[in-house]
Amino acid sequence: MNQLARFLIISRGQWFWMGAGIVLGVLVIFANTLLMAISGWFIASMAVSGSSGAAFNYFFPSASIRFLAIARTVGRYAERLVTHESTFRILSELRVWLFNRFEPLAPACLERYAGGDVTGRLRGDVDALETLYLKIIAPLAVGTLSLLAALVFLLWFSPPSAGVMLLFLLLAGVVLPLLVRRFSEEPGRRSALLAAELRTMVTEGLQGVEELILLGAVERQAAVVDGLSAEVIVEQERLGRINGLSLGGMAFFAGSGVAAVLLAGSMQVASHQIPPPNLVMLLLFSAAIFEAAGLLPSALHLLPAAQESVSRIFELADAPIPVPDNPVSSDLPADGALCFSNVSASYLPGMPVLDNFSLTIPAGGCVVLTGSSGIGKSLLVEILLRFRNYEGSVTVGGIEIRDLPKETLIGMIAAVPQRPHLFNGTIRENILLGSVSADEEQLQQVLKNSCLDQWIAALPLGLETMVGGNGSAVSGGEARRIALARALLKDAPILLLDEPTEGLDCATEREIVSRLNKWFRNGVATTVLVVSHRPACLQLGNSVIHL
Amino acid sequence: MTEHSDESTGNNPRRNNSAEQWLFAEAGKIRGLLIGIVGLSSCIGLLVVFQARILATACQYVVIQGKGVSSVLPLAALLLLLAAGRSLLTSVLEINTAAAAAKVKQAVRSRLYRKIQALGPAGLSGDETGPLIETVTKGVDELEPYFTRFLPQLSLAAILPLMFLIVIVPSEWRSGLVLLFSAPFIPLFMILIGRGSEKLHRRQWGRLSRMAGHLLDLVQGLPDLIIFGAAKREATVVARVSDEYRIATMAVLRVAFLSAFTLEFFATVGTALVAVIIGFRLLFGDLSLGEGLFVLLMAPEFYLPLRNLGLSYHARMQGVAAAERIAPLLARPLPEGFAGTVPAPSGPPSILFEGVSFRYGGVRGGVTAVDLELPAGSITALAGESGAGKTTLARLLVGLTRPESGRILVNGHDLTTLAPDSWRSRLAWVPQAPYFTSGTVRENLLLGRPDADEDLINTALAAAAADQFISRLPHGLDTPLGDRGAGLSGGELRRLALARAYVCQATLVVLDEPTAGLDAESERLVCEALKRVARGRTVLVISHREQTLSSVERVAEMVDGRIGQVLLSAEFLSRCEVPV
Repeated sequence: MNQLARFLIISRGQWFWMGAGIVLGVLVIFANTLLMAISGWFIASMAVSGSSGAAFNYFFPSASIRFLAIARTVGRYAERLVTHESTFRILSELRVWLFNRFEPLAPACLERYAGGDVTGRLRGDVDALETLYLKIIAPLAVGTLSLLAALVFLLWFSPPSAGVMLLFLLLAGVVLPLLVRRFSEEPGRRSALLAAELRTMVTEGLQGVEELILLGAVERQAAVVDGLSAEVIVEQERLGRINGLSLGGMAFFAGSGVAAVLLAGSMQVASHQIPPPNLVMLLLFSAAIFEAAGLLPSALHLLPAAQESVSRIFELADAPIPVPDNPVSSDLPADGALCFSNVSASYLPGMPVLDNFSLTIPAGGCVVLTGSSGIGKSLLVEILLRFRNYEGSVTVGGIEIRDLPKETLIGMIAAVPQRPHLFNGTIRENILLGSVSADEEQLQQVLKNSCLDQWIAALPLGLETMVGGNGSAVSGGEARRIALARALLKDAPILLLDEPTEGLDCATEREIVSRLNKWFRNGVATTVLVVSHRPACLQLGNSVIHL
Repeated sequence: MTEHSDESTGNNPRRNNSAEQWLFAEAGKIRGLLIGIVGLSSCIGLLVVFQARILATACQYVVIQGKGVSSVLPLAALLLLLAAGRSLLTSVLEINTAAAAAKVKQAVRSRLYRKIQALGPAGLSGDETGPLIETVTKGVDELEPYFTRFLPQLSLAAILPLMFLIVIVPSEWRSGLVLLFSAPFIPLFMILIGRGSEKLHRRQWGRLSRMAGHLLDLVQGLPDLIIFGAAKREATVVARVSDEYRIATMAVLRVAFLSAFTLEFFATVGTALVAVIIGFRLLFGDLSLGEGLFVLLMAPEFYLPLRNLGLSYHARMQGVAAAERIAPLLARPLPEGFAGTVPAPSGPPSILFEGVSFRYGGVRGGVTAVDLELPAGSITALAGESGAGKTTLARLLVGLTRPESGRILVNGHDLTTLAPDSWRSRLAWVPQAPYFTSGTVRENLLLGRPDADEDLINTALAAAAADQFISRLPHGLDTPLGDRGAGLSGGELRRLALARAYVCQATLVVLDEPTAGLDAESERLVCEALKRVARGRTVLVISHREQTLSSVERVAEMVDGRIGQVLLSAEFLSRCEVPV
């Protein structure tokens, strides 16, 4: 329940819409039940008056019937629009909230989320968060409020009927859903678990289909998938059966509730406590109100899984910020000189990667760091970007970087990270991320420096070519060159290049190295730190340091 | 990044149609269960009639005839019995439905998965893996409501109203007429409104998933956004994109919800009209309360199946959308050229490419008129720029795809005449990113030969220089590899893949960039392992790394899909003049 409260607090800007949706929902259910009740009372009164010959004013009930019929129809339409409107409003608010929360956590915390399955998990979890109001909160609120209102209505007209209906509504609306929830918890959890496992197996099988075919292991793997699929389906069928029993129970309680009201009402009629037509009204009202009780089981059914997703997201959002931004200095670094002294750092606590590392690069200097993989070359780049914590001292232009506002520091650095991300957009958009204000001439210059010019000229759509999700439409080498162009376009005093030529063939690699060299030596005062284990890249610096 | 919408994903009536035909054909396979579902639902409908009749009679007794509680007691008991019966039938119905769903899903998933594997890379060129995975997992699940909700509701919408009309007319034919004439308006208006909104609706769903993708794309790329100071800017884009989405979607929903509105409107007006007619006939004493109330109770029940059909419209749309992805895959013909029968040669084969072309439909990475000889037992490297067609050539050699023209001769036999299974058992293929299951190291090692003995495993590990790091793993060979390869480095995973190729005891080994991304020391280990594994085998290795090229005999350079010269390794390297 904590998560629900948290959700409500985050989306407090939309309480008006959320409340309006719930009020409309209650009104619609009430219009519907009253319509049935008044129709029943109306025709019973007409029949009594017909058989006794007494006069009956049918104008008021028939006007009410007309009004309620319209209220029900229009109200339902309005309710659906308002609940959807508020769902989408909540969705925008949540997305911005999530995005702002995630920003300081990247990349150190995000990569640990859900065992690294950020895309797969996050999509489902965000979906669950976004439909929390529409599928769970609104039906629960509407159902509970309508049932309470219905009991008040019954209590007013016939306390005994209210008594028996309280019993049956409790059974149908509370006990039954709780039982369902209890029994479906285990198969629900298992089916989610198995479905994830099935997904993994299918993913493995389809991504590795070529090797499986060549290894002659296709049929064996398909049998494993079949087995898992059957297990998932058994659990899904079990859930279906529980749902069947719950619907059956609902039908039974609704039917017996009406039978009980028939007895209670008849007794009151026989003892002249209520006028005879009221019996028909009570019966039709009681039969109709079970519609409201029906809202509760499905919402409660979805609740556990939604809670799990939502708490996973909140847990992530609440993770302590790995590298806090506590600026104490308002001075701007004078230049791009870099100095590491006695720096120790690690990716995971207790597994030090860098130990007492020292290095000085004067402003405008150009250094290549080399050494075998896992020695901490990329970690140095991430420390400078304030993605990781460090011990010791790291200064830029003489100022300790942890004392600088992150924004100021990042403003001085352009970088190609170890695994650059291409956004699902055009090549132009991805490169312009480096500098939105760059003009066409600057753009052409960086295309040339990153050896993209010929390739792009040969593309039918040129710079407007889409790179695909995660850069899936371009090769690894092309993606890296796009990332390089983006960094060059930023034109910052410090340039960090982590394996800038990974995935390139030796001819292109040589070409890039020579073009970059020409650019660096052309009087540009950029401080450059290159991290690479490729021999060709060693030529990029005026000094090479072996870690 | 701005959101890129693809407006062409509207619905295509023809595809829609054939998808629905496929769904009907699948439904035929569970006809018995579906008939059971419809039959049970009709029985429940019958119980509803009895329930209304008893309730109306009880009201007649108490309200009009002034009878006491004792006279309604048996009726109340009967109501309780009917409630129990209805409850039982409902449970059986739902259990039956769950069984039908399970049967369809299991059968379709099994067939679909095997079909995708049988199509293989040759039959799937152009399909991305991501959507295929979605189709096999979630797509198959999405078929369920079509069979369990939409199809039964479709039959019930025809059966139940008719059944109810037959019992209503003898009691009150005027009300019967009102119902009869109002009923056809419901589907009519729904179709009119539904037609227009369906297309919009679909486009909206597409937009929704793209919008979800937009947020994930940004979250994944957060480090890059931070580096370029664009994170704050993109936060406002997130807000803007979501708001635009809300406004566009609500415009669509205002129309889409109209069909439900129409339906409710006619059902409500119909019921109200019936109430008024009955009321006045009762007032004039032409009708008994029992008959009148029975008809009033049945009026909403008459419209209910039509309303349910309207509500199951989404189930239909979802099912058809899933079928649109599944049916064409199942119907796709298997690729040609994989029906050879000649057993593959047992020793290291000699390979001859003769004018082999494969153009990928003209896009980059194809090969053109390649002539190349790989003598038996030789070790040859394929060098060249990325996109020059090296991987394509390797895939043609192992037989994952077939040449569009030209042929590949294995000891003089055309590769397409060899029995695929026999050929595959003779070769080992180590692609750029070798495939590992999340099972143990041993399972992965034995993927190609589950029956290999311990001696062979140890020899293979030693040859691939993988024995040392495996002995360091917490459970040795029985350590699970997991998602991330149990913390093995890229070079170690490559050597594991080499060991697997060794275990296969293949006579032809093809390696794609076995040393890309490795540091010099790891590369040296892999190259030495490669030389040991290559003994007594024909080997083709793709690489542009100088150290790797120096450990082979001959180098063939590919330029733009064509093979230039084949040179001795030393000769090639001296020309390349890579600074070391």
